[in-house]
Amino acid sequence: MTDLLTQSEGLHCASLDRRNFLRTGLGGALFLGTVSLTAGLSGCATAPAGRLGAVESRMDARYRFQFLTTDDIELFEALLPAILGSALPEQASARRMAIASTVERIDAGIHKFGPANQKELRQLFDLLNFGLTRATIARVWPAWRNVTTEQADAFLQRWRTSRIGLLNNGYIALTKISNVAFYGHQENWQLSGYPGPPEWAVQALPQFRNI
Amino acid sequence: MPFNDRIAQGLESGWKVIDSATLTEHHTAEADVVIVGTGAGGGTTAEILAKSGLSVILVEEGRLYYQKDFKMDELASYANLYQEGMSRTTKDGAIAILQGRCVGGSTTVNWTSSFRTPDETLNYWGKRFGLDALSPDAMAPWFDGRETRHSMSPWDMDPNLNNDILRQGCEKLGFSWQIIPRNVNGCWNLGYCGVGCPTNAKQGALMTTIPGALDNNATMYHGLRAERLVMNQDRIESLQATAMASDGITPGKIMVTLKARHFVVAASAIGSPGLLLRSKVPDPYERVGKRSFIHPVNASVAQMPKLVDPFYGAPQSVYSDEFNFRNGVDGEIGYKLEVPPLHPAMSAGVVPGHGDEQAKNMARLPWMQSVIALMRDGFHEESPGGTVSLRDDGSPMLDYPISDYLWKGLRDAFYTMAEIQFAAGADKVRLMHLDSDWYSSWADAKAAIDGFAMAPHRVRLFTAHQMGGCVMGSKPENSVVNGFGEHHQVSNLSVHDASIFPTSIGANPQLSVYALAARNSTRLAQRLQT
Repeated sequence: MTDLLTQSEGLHCASLDRRNFLRTGLGGALFLGTVSLTAGLSGCATAPAGRLGAVESRMDARYRFQFLTTDDIELFEALLPAILGSALPEQASARRMAIASTVERIDAGIHKFGPANQKELRQLFDLLNFGLTRATIARVWPAWRNVTTEQADAFLQRWRTSRIGLLNNGYIALTKISNVAFYGHQENWQLSGYPGPPEWAVQALPQFRNI
Repeated sequence: MPFNDRIAQGLESGWKVIDSATLTEHHTAEADVVIVGTGAGGGTTAEILAKSGLSVILVEEGRLYYQKDFKMDELASYANLYQEGMSRTTKDGAIAILQGRCVGGSTTVNWTSSFRTPDETLNYWGKRFGLDALSPDAMAPWFDGRETRHSMSPWDMDPNLNNDILRQGCEKLGFSWQIIPRNVNGCWNLGYCGVGCPTNAKQGALMTTIPGALDNNATMYHGLRAERLVMNQDRIESLQATAMASDGITPGKIMVTLKARHFVVAASAIGSPGLLLRSKVPDPYERVGKRSFIHPVNASVAQMPKLVDPFYGAPQSVYSDEFNFRNGVDGEIGYKLEVPPLHPAMSAGVVPGHGDEQAKNMARLPWMQSVIALMRDGFHEESPGGTVSLRDDGSPMLDYPISDYLWKGLRDAFYTMAEIQFAAGADKVRLMHLDSDWYSSWADAKAAIDGFAMAPHRVRLFTAHQMGGCVMGSKPENSVVNGFGEHHQVSNLSVHDASIFPTSIGANPQLSVYALAARNSTRLAQRLQT
């Protein structure tokens, strides 16, 4: 339980004591609540991003974000290349599109999670987006938009192998949401050798016919 | 092309089905009985009471989805048909909870396995909880009746390879195995039970008891959240409910008040204790929400030399009870061995990992096979179960701590599953644990499992079976309802779902729920008619 305390020589800040974080465990609700509040006061984006301009967002301009903030979107744009690895296309525009559409499906999925789990994810994302906690707890120094895939991967590995269950849980949450949204999407089925529902059944069933 | 399935026809013929998202003003209705929940318990209760001539109102928080919506698509189904969009977990996030949230409840999305309550379990309930009336002999006619009603019989096609590998491994090692009875009628053997049966072959509540109740004049509200039961002196007077928006998750402003002579709660082992706690129904011994069981599940995946195509074919057709009662009913924990279907999103959610390694894992999905072990929790003092409590917003959550007793069983199951997969010819095996690599021999896997830290989050855990929380028993001091599901303190309240089980079942629970609900509803119908 103490490796994070002793190994990380990062910032010490009276208002956000890392010991607090470790003591409270997932009940860290209290601590994380502080982060959300601080993030809000310090002007971090805390409102859903809504409809982003196509140029600004590199996304489908028609998609309306219901949960992810612009900061969260940057977080996933930094993490997805590390989470998806060689499953992402190499060609630059195809890669951008794959990342953008995965972020949109992550947002749509989280909308259906409902309020309780949204609250937990809000705390996790705020912790990762707020500079002080990003540096001390995730040990990621640059802002996410400047994080390399190697740095993102190292962060994921740290949380995966940590002896702190709460960080393992954070690793699972980030990777599971991303992997499900990516591999579960029809356009990516081929990456898992899944041909989709049997064609003969699709042909025979009324719900696949235009009414 | 017009749909001519059971639900489309019924709606056409004038069934009283109300999409609560379409209500525009507050609304009050009254019936003999209000039933909260439309799953295995609620559906059975509704059909039996409606056929006996009682007026019935069914309340479902999820929405009505049926054949037109079942397009064999994982992401759409997980988002719409499962609790919390498939993101439900235990309080600490360590155990993923797969649970239905739609008309038909979990029976709409389960994998159709249909087991009777094991004799050992029923006998234990008699001895330990004063439930002698539920002896195997006494229950047999109820199982018979429900097996007929839901078209349950051992699967008569060949198991898919995913399941057959469990059979092969058991054969090689001398472990017992059997064919799973399934509740299907004219099954196409496609493999999409978990995302809503696309062919209407599955005989869950959606195709049987719900239409049966609606044909007999029952009224069903869907998209309606039961907020609380309102007491007047020592009886429940009404149910207060909130209409949800058409997205199914945003509470709307319209309130619905439902009055009845009797109330049946069948909102699941998480939902039912949640409703009773929110309602502050008398609970003098503080038993509501206690003894919650989940058959904690761990898993192993294998790479097989032959194509498995684990996404096709009846998802569950072979099981092994070799380890289920091996140490007696109440000794070291027993576990049932089964197989899960593996579609891309499911696999990506179950197999932990990221980066190139995960891309490689996923690319081998057609050769992947998986075995799961379901822990038979609740039969030992070191397995007291979890606790359902309310969050600040009134929603229920399950806290389920894992004792050393359970960890030992989970580690034993890791050994068993890897051994079976290697015996069946696996090239490589990986346990669903954050520290597990791929192992290419049983000896390597065994040595690795010896060293696994058995801790929350590191061991990947799941549950698809939620039980207990409003448990039945002869003594009010340690139970919420009696052996007929009748509330000990409130005379016009019954509980008819898996929440009344005083332990886990030791098998997939749907038939246990159907049978007890049928028995208890038959009695309730007699009571209410006199």
